[in-house]
Order: sequence, then C-alpha cells, then structure tokens
Amino acid sequence: MGAARKYAPLLPVLGLYAALFAIGLLVPGKWQLIAQLVFYCALGQAFNLFMGMTGYVDFGYVAFMGVGAYGMAVTVSSLSDKGLGLWLIPLGLVHAAIFSILLSLAVGAVALRLRGAYFAIATIGVNEGFRFLIEGARLWNGSAGIIFSRNMKEAFGREGAIEISTFWADVLVFAVAVLAAVMTMVYLCSKVGYALTALREDEDAAKVMGINVTRYKIVAFITSAVLAGLLGACAWALKLTYVYPADVFEIHYTVEAIIIVLLGGAGTLLGPIVGGLIYAASKYYLAVTVPGLQLLIFAPIILTIIVLFPEGTVGMVKRRCRSTVLERFIH
Amino acid sequence: MFLEQLSGNLFQGLILGAVYGMATMGLSLIFGVLRVVNVGHGAFMMVGAYCSLWAFHGLGVAPILALPLAMLVGMGLGLIFYYTVIRRLIKAPELATLLATFAFGVILEETIKLIATSESRGFNWDIGKIDFGFTILPYTKLIAFAGSVLIALLLYWWFNKTRAGMAMRCVVEDDQGARVCGINVEWEYALSFSLGLGLTVASGVLLTMFIPVGIQPYMGGGYTLKAFVIAVLGGLTSPYGAFFGGLVFGLLENGSYSLFAQIPGLEPFAMTRFFSFVMLLVILLFRPTGLLRAR
Repeated sequence: MGAARKYAPLLPVLGLYAALFAIGLLVPGKWQLIAQLVFYCALGQAFNLFMGMTGYVDFGYVAFMGVGAYGMAVTVSSLSDKGLGLWLIPLGLVHAAIFSILLSLAVGAVALRLRGAYFAIATIGVNEGFRFLIEGARLWNGSAGIIFSRNMKEAFGREGAIEISTFWADVLVFAVAVLAAVMTMVYLCSKVGYALTALREDEDAAKVMGINVTRYKIVAFITSAVLAGLLGACAWALKLTYVYPADVFEIHYTVEAIIIVLLGGAGTLLGPIVGGLIYAASKYYLAVTVPGLQLLIFAPIILTIIVLFPEGTVGMVKRRCRSTVLERFIH
Repeated sequence: MFLEQLSGNLFQGLILGAVYGMATMGLSLIFGVLRVVNVGHGAFMMVGAYCSLWAFHGLGVAPILALPLAMLVGMGLGLIFYYTVIRRLIKAPELATLLATFAFGVILEETIKLIATSESRGFNWDIGKIDFGFTILPYTKLIAFAGSVLIALLLYWWFNKTRAGMAMRCVVEDDQGARVCGINVEWEYALSFSLGLGLTVASGVLLTMFIPVGIQPYMGGGYTLKAFVIAVLGGLTSPYGAFFGGLVFGLLENGSYSLFAQIPGLEPFAMTRFFSFVMLLVILLFRPTGLLRAR
C-alpha cells in the first residue's frame, strides 16, 4: 500500500479545515464562530487520540489543557520584559507542552497501570486535585489566577497584542487541529494504531500476542496530553490573556470532549471532526434558542448514542460506504 | 492548644466519616454486583440533599424524616435507569457504562437546576447541641451519625440473615454459580442497582446535617471524588469495607486539615481536597484491594 493511498483519508479532513479557514477569512463577522467550531474539532481529536483508540476514559482530561494554559500564561507574564518579541509565543507553547508532558507522566505512572474502571476512577480527580493544589499551595498566584494582558501589550505592542488574541491565537488552534489530525492518521496507519486496536478489543489477548501494551498506551496518552496542552495555551491563555484555576480545570470541557467523540465515532479519524462540528454548531444554536439548557439536551443524546448507536455518525457512514470508492477516504 | 484542636477535629471527622461511609455503601454495592462504576454518584447525593431541603421548607417536617422518601426516590430512579439503559450495557465494554452513569448524573443535575435554579440554598434546623469539653457537637450531626450506623447495621443484617440478601451476596461471589442455584440474576441486578442508588440518595439527606448552606445542583462533584477514595479504601466491592473506609477517610480528612492549617502560606481547605486526590492515587498504586483485605 503506497503512502499516498495510505494517507488518503487525511484529504477530506485537510480540505474541510482549509474550507473553514477560507470562510472565516472571507466572510466578514464569521471568524469567531469558525474559531469556536475548530476549537471543538481540535478538542475532540486530541481526546479521541487516547480515548477513542484505547477505550480508556480519562475524566480528568481537562487538566492537561489547564496546565497548558498555565504554561503560556507563566511564560508571557514572567518574560515579557526580556525583549524576546514574537519568540515568546513558541517559548510559551514549548512550556505548555512540557507542563502537560510532566503532568501526563505523573498521572500516567499511576493510572496507566490500572485497567478499565480503575483507570477512570484514578483520573476522575486529576483536574480537581490539580486545581486545589494551585489554590491550596498558592502556586502561580493561587486562586487569583494570572492576568497578563498588560504583559502582552508590553511584549507585542498594543496593536500586536490585540491582533494576537483576536486572530493569531485562533490560527494556532487551526494548526493544533491539523496537527492532531495528522498524528491520528500516523498512529492509525502504524504499529501504534494496530497495537491500540488490539488492546481495545482484548487487552489480555494483545498481551499474550507479545504486544507491549503499556508502551503504546503511554505513547498515546502523552501525545493526547500534549495536544490538549497546546490547545489550552492557544485557545485559552493566548486568546483570553487570563487564566483562573477555577475556569481552566472545569470538568465541563471533559464532558464536551466525550460528547464530541461519541457523536462522531470513537477511534476514527473523521469522527471527532464531524462530532465537533455538529456539537459546536448545535451548541451555538441552542445557546441562542434555549439558553442554559444545552447540557440537559445533550446528556440524553449521549445515553441514546451509547445504547443505540455505539459506533457514532462516522462509524455508521463508514459501514454504509463499505466497498465503494468513498471507502478509501473515510477512516 | 493544637492537640485539643486536633482531637476535636478528629472527633468531628469520625462523625462525618460515618456519613461518608454510608454514602459510599451504595457505590460499592453497585460495583460489587454489576461491575458498574457509578460516575454520577455525587449527583444522586445531591438529589437526596434536595429531598431533605424540600421536606424541611415544603412539608415543614424534620429533614431526617425525608430519609424514607429519599430512599424511595433513589430506588425509583434506579429501576428506571436500570431498565432503560444499564440492562442493555452490562455486556458492553466498560466505557459504555462509565459514560452512561456520567450522562445520567448530568441529567439529574440539569433537571434539578431547571426546577430549583443554581443558587446555593440551605436550612437551619436547630435542636440544640452537646458540649464534650474539647468540641461541641450539634444534635443534628449526632442524629446523622446514628442514622448512618443504623442503616449500615440494617444492611449487614439484611445481607447475612435474609434469603434475599444472601442471594445478592451469591451474585457478587459468582453470578454463573448463582444462576445454577436458581437465583434470578437479572432481578438481583435490578434490585441491587436500585438499592444502591436508594442508599446513595438517602445519604444525601444525612449529609445536609453537615452543610447548613451549600445545597446546589453541582454540589455532587466533590462527593463523587471522595466516594471513590472511600470505596477504594474499602476494596471497592464490599459495602462494609466502604463503611469503614468512610470512617478512616473522615479521620484523615479532618486530621490533615489541622496539620495543613499549621503550615503558613497554605489554604488548608483546598489542600485537604488535594490530599484526598493524592490519597486515591497512592492507594490505587499500593493497595488496590483496599486497606482491610490482604493482597
């Protein structure tokens, strides 16, 4: 199987992002909506990389986004007077990645030894635990959070700071989304993906076959965590120019990630993107028509999907398209 | 001074720990029988807290009398949830039941929010207090303590002395074997699920004796985490283990609060929450079978 053919499913994904990007740029007033849509697609993809492929639910996932946001905030607020200019942003992203890797190593060292329900129980408090560590030990300014809009102005100038938080932060979210899609495809087409599929179907059988399941779990866990960290750094810290522990460790975002992955289809490439678009668009619409009731509407939908359509939208489409030309492009 | 404070806190911790323990028995019962982790645990406790609030404000009766009502509400919710969703997912991967219980918790929270708004409410049930010298305990907390112990004893009696209880224990041990012995395993599943949720909702009533204000739709999250720590302390499958786990947890939580308060520059309350999370990881790592049971 040639590389071009192997990676063919990436084409519709990249085409979709390119189209969204073009719409956002060309249609006036739609940029923020498009940025929202892409944020949810990226969130779903990053979450799917671990949950979808392994079948392990990480209820504390938002903690990785939170520490990523802190990575960016700490970098900008402490180094803004060093004259680093635009290098501050890549540096902040590197810090976000490092923070999320460290947290994922700490959590993974315990949680990844556990299986199924025990894994979920171990992760359920990660976000709360980390939030209370920051507040309790008064780390990084404690519960007062980090507000660094002044530092942004100091580092990039008034115009530059506004442009970064209203435009370039969203472009970076696009970049994270594309990166997440590429990583998912690379894993799906490589030994990692096969190993994880085997693990999801039957962990004991996979072990007996000589697959080092722990190693592949760690790889997927860390990749997923880093993507979350980058997403937190771009979509929260850089865009809002403030970080509060109570906001960035809110379990709500884990719930949204779960909904998106389930809506689209777990373990597929296209699933989280379709799920993200459906979720973000309907959330936007519901927020206008029935404000405050979004979760009450989405929670029964999750139940319905779990019971009646466990394979999600893309899973169903994939089954319909079997042995047609489209099969090659849907993964 | 410090010692007096510590002993007072530990005593209060033991009283609260009994309620924690009773609150976790339902979680352990459900996991033991069905191997389903109820991730929406805290939301069910929240429903109990509202039962107590409404009994006090709406009916004007002592909140403790809401206990049977809450038990019935919980069992009803349990039966509905079991027959519509859980029954179809028993054979499915664990992922499915984790997400389903989670989603059901969200439905409860959002429904209560719709009915009662998200503002924090509470009630003041003052029936005097008792002075022990080193600490002062309101009678309401004493009632909650007695209620928890009584319910735990009742459950113990039910599991050990009645046929229905012994049948349920059979299913925990070996559901194939139970089937061979002529036990209706399907029905035991449904019964234990609704009994577990009934206990959980009832524990929410007892919990309101400790939180005079602070009854709100999202109050359950913290208790879900605590319940998991306690259940894991007790070995996750045993309701009695959970009860003793609750006592241990209450002591540790209040004891650590006293210690954190001694260290300057720390927020003791937040550190206690962090401590319970660390405890969860440490126990899962070193004693995944619980404290009571040998490896």
